Amino acid sequence: MGNWERLVWNQRDALLQGLGVTVQICLIAFAVALLGGLTLCLIRMYVKPLRPVATTLIEFFRATPIFVQLLWVTYVWPEVFGWPDAFFTAGWVALGLQSSGYLAETLRAGIEAVPKGHREAGYSLGMSPVMVFLRIVLPQTLLMVAPSIVNQFTVIVKSSTLVSVITVQDLMFQALRLVNVWYEPIEILTVVAGLYILFVFLLSQAGKSLSDLLRSRYGLAAA
Amino acid sequence: MSEALLTALNPSMFWEYRQVLLRGLAFNGYVFVTAGALALAVGLAAALLRLNRAWPFRWVGTLHVETFRNAPDYIMVIWVHFVLPLLLGAAIGRRIEFPPFVSAVIALGFVYSGYFAETFRAGIQSIPAGHIDAGRACGMSERLILRRIVLPQVVRRMLPEAINQFVSLFKATTIVSLIAVPDLMYQVSMVLQQEMKPLPLYTGAALTYFAVIYAVSSLVRLLSERWRNKVYA
Repeated sequence: MGNWERLVWNQRDALLQGLGVTVQICLIAFAVALLGGLTLCLIRMYVKPLRPVATTLIEFFRATPIFVQLLWVTYVWPEVFGWPDAFFTAGWVALGLQSSGYLAETLRAGIEAVPKGHREAGYSLGMSPVMVFLRIVLPQTLLMVAPSIVNQFTVIVKSSTLVSVITVQDLMFQALRLVNVWYEPIEILTVVAGLYILFVFLLSQAGKSLSDLLRSRYGLAAA
Repeated sequence: MSEALLTALNPSMFWEYRQVLLRGLAFNGYVFVTAGALALAVGLAAALLRLNRAWPFRWVGTLHVETFRNAPDYIMVIWVHFVLPLLLGAAIGRRIEFPPFVSAVIALGFVYSGYFAETFRAGIQSIPAGHIDAGRACGMSERLILRRIVLPQVVRRMLPEAINQFVSLFKATTIVSLIAVPDLMYQVSMVLQQEMKPLPLYTGAALTYFAVIYAVSSLVRLLSERWRNKVYA
């Protein structure tokens, strides 16, 4: 046990710091993914002239590996757009973009699943289209796709391990750094792998209970 | 900026190195095919364990699925490459080392076996119990029922989901460059060290992966849709 104490427990400050960075980057990326996904989805569904643009973006984000996108955003964007100027920023931009493509499609499925009659009921009460969308369509959509959204968050957490490659000092980065200090990978890598598996497991259990709750309370099946 | 954009869209540099890069892309293919085969085999085994009548088997199957489905690809690749050989070596009392390709295949194969196990399980559970009873009534053995009645239906039902997972697996093969498997991303970074021009190289790599994944997955989906409908109709 001496090894575990020396290699893992005594390094808890570095690991906790890394965990903090991981949590930050995942939350920011998640917010970006939600906003970006909703925007892309709305443009694809309701803004006819821009539809091909949105569709291409969605397909591009979905069909390129996250690792490639990460390096692309980190090293190509600064030369073309002059932004992002920090690795941390590049990290959440890439994670957010990738997931926004998936969320756009999830949200579209949710919006299309809202029965037409609900919209017509809104119109016949004299609600404006924007009001119908905000008051009738969007709440139902969000309830329906909530489990898939939680699921997408677990994907972000899993992909976030890759930001260590562009030297963002997340949990994975700290683990690899400690391996390079001590040259004893067994304990530290096993603990960190276990931590990631535990976090993602808890998140996906939360998503599962959420979808059970929604089904029993509102009678919604996950889209 | 517009000049930078032009360089980014200028494919000549990417074209210049096409042989090395294509060899890299082929490596993505090798990893994908071997890891995919491993994932399917292990995934089916785990699904059958989860559906077993004896609880210890079910428990092992569930543990397998929950571990690998929730594990990030990258840390599994690193763990298999750096930790697993040490543990195995200590167990048999000899130093061993995995070639990067082997580590990549084991790690990705096991991670994706977790996803495939769930797909298989959902597919197997969706087969009406009457079909299995009918097989038993005809005097078929359990194994024959699995092979002749259950699996042919399961394969058709799980195809759309499985295609998504194969796409994810192919995308995950890009990270094997991080343990020095000479795939496309690895070759790109090698060329990058000589040319120092990330613009055309990374853009080219992103577009190449996009083209390959988008084209192949659309094509497979189209063809398999026809096959599935033909059999059912």
